Amino acid sequence: MSLLERQIAFRAEIAAQDDASPPCSPGMEIYRNAYRGRLLAALEISFERTRGWVGEEAFTAAACHFIIAHPPEGWTLDDYGSDFPGVLAALFAHDPEVAELAWLEWHMQRAFAAPDKPELDPAALASAGYSEADWANLRFAMAAGFAATPVSTCCAQLWEALENGPADACEAGGRAEAALLVWRSGTSPRYRLTSIEELRALEAIASGAPLAVIAESCHVARLGEWLSQWLRDGLFSRAIPAIPEEVCNG
Amino acid sequence: MNNTIAPFTGFGLGLRKEHHQDFLRAEQALDFVEIISENFMACGGWPLRTLEAVREQYPVAMHGVSMSLGSPEGLDVGYLAELKALAGRIDPLWISDHLCWTRVGGFATHDLLPLPYTQEALDICVTNINRAQDVFERPLLIENPSSYVSFPESRMREWEFLAALSGETGCYLLLDVNNVWVSSVNHGFDPLAFLAGIPADRVRQIHLAGHSAGPEGMLIDTHDAPVCAEVWQLYGRAVERFGPCATMIERDDAIPPLPELLAELALARDAARMRSIAA
Repeated sequence: MSLLERQIAFRAEIAAQDDASPPCSPGMEIYRNAYRGRLLAALEISFERTRGWVGEEAFTAAACHFIIAHPPEGWTLDDYGSDFPGVLAALFAHDPEVAELAWLEWHMQRAFAAPDKPELDPAALASAGYSEADWANLRFAMAAGFAATPVSTCCAQLWEALENGPADACEAGGRAEAALLVWRSGTSPRYRLTSIEELRALEAIASGAPLAVIAESCHVARLGEWLSQWLRDGLFSRAIPAIPEEVCNG
Repeated sequence: MNNTIAPFTGFGLGLRKEHHQDFLRAEQALDFVEIISENFMACGGWPLRTLEAVREQYPVAMHGVSMSLGSPEGLDVGYLAELKALAGRIDPLWISDHLCWTRVGGFATHDLLPLPYTQEALDICVTNINRAQDVFERPLLIENPSSYVSFPESRMREWEFLAALSGETGCYLLLDVNNVWVSSVNHGFDPLAFLAGIPADRVRQIHLAGHSAGPEGMLIDTHDAPVCAEVWQLYGRAVERFGPCATMIERDDAIPPLPELLAELALARDAARMRSIAA
């Protein structure tokens, strides 16, 4: 048996479900317990408020399912759990606030430690001397930790309420369709609830669309209000002016 | 590439989240701080600001858990790049990782898994260590992990494997005295034979830690308890053999207030001083 074959078999043994594998040696049992224990602990830390909301037993069952179905692939445990909100959406299909709460919790933590980016200074942008055409072609790079999603529950209210432990009864469902934005400003992760319309505009900007393209699907005055808000929030790391045509043409 | 790591004789602790505020509030009685490299790779914001503030006060050793030096599939290029970027940012005393594997077939294990001590494993580790040392342009420190299984195909003892590894790559060694003790109990070898088999001039750092009882008389390297009497005794023998070198206490679970760990570290200072005088 080559070393590679040995390692593939070893990993399969420690990652196997209890009821799907033969009894193993006490030493292998230590490795199996450590593997599962470490991944479970990582999920418990990353989703502490979600755990508080669904309860210990339900959370552990969901986490164990996730550990078997989604073994870790990355070199850092900090990345483990990015797919967990999606799995929770399927497992708690009748309680949509669970997956949305987990999404917010995950992205607030990711924003906290996301790689640094500069923050776009609104005054510097205002004094850049852009022409009307420059503004139309302007693109933006998003702030550190930016993420956005539509939501249908009061998950943000729940997230706040769970800060100090299990929340009292919260009206979790029945909210009008809305959206959540997460990003980091300075060293503080932030979130804001907004409309689906604004979410779609920001998603387009995050994917590289210039302001002119955003303006095609909303009123210019509305776009102006959003842009002011985005700059005040610190949602952008930098403005990216269009490259003049003569430069493109060499 | 600088092929040597100068001896550094101090006493340190791991930088853990639970103690960040203590480090930021006041200078602590420490000669160096060790970080888990992965906690600060591809990272920014408050965690990185904290590390930079700590680095202004103390030398920092970078200790990794995910290089997977025992991987036949080779090293992760992206991982090496991130680690090198962090080293460029904080100018560490050294970069260390473990004699183990943590990744296979696209999966990460997030545990320090054991190797058989064979010529094939040695060749693979030598290739990977040389590759990493070329990337970092400095020698690595390699730590002996605790282990709970052994392999029938092994042809060397762990200390012979480490000595060969150091001889072939020029890497230095991070001797985890608790791991020596834990593995000696689990596999039934003499821990003093382990110390005697390690080349004395290659040890640059010593780890001390606590462990817990496992099944069937085995010990588990849990880092959740104070250093036990047997490990203190073995540490004394290690200081006699390797001379004073950078020593730190690792605590990763059931982490007590910082003053408690500083008091435990003072015991290490005393033990090292007494053994150095005796030697």
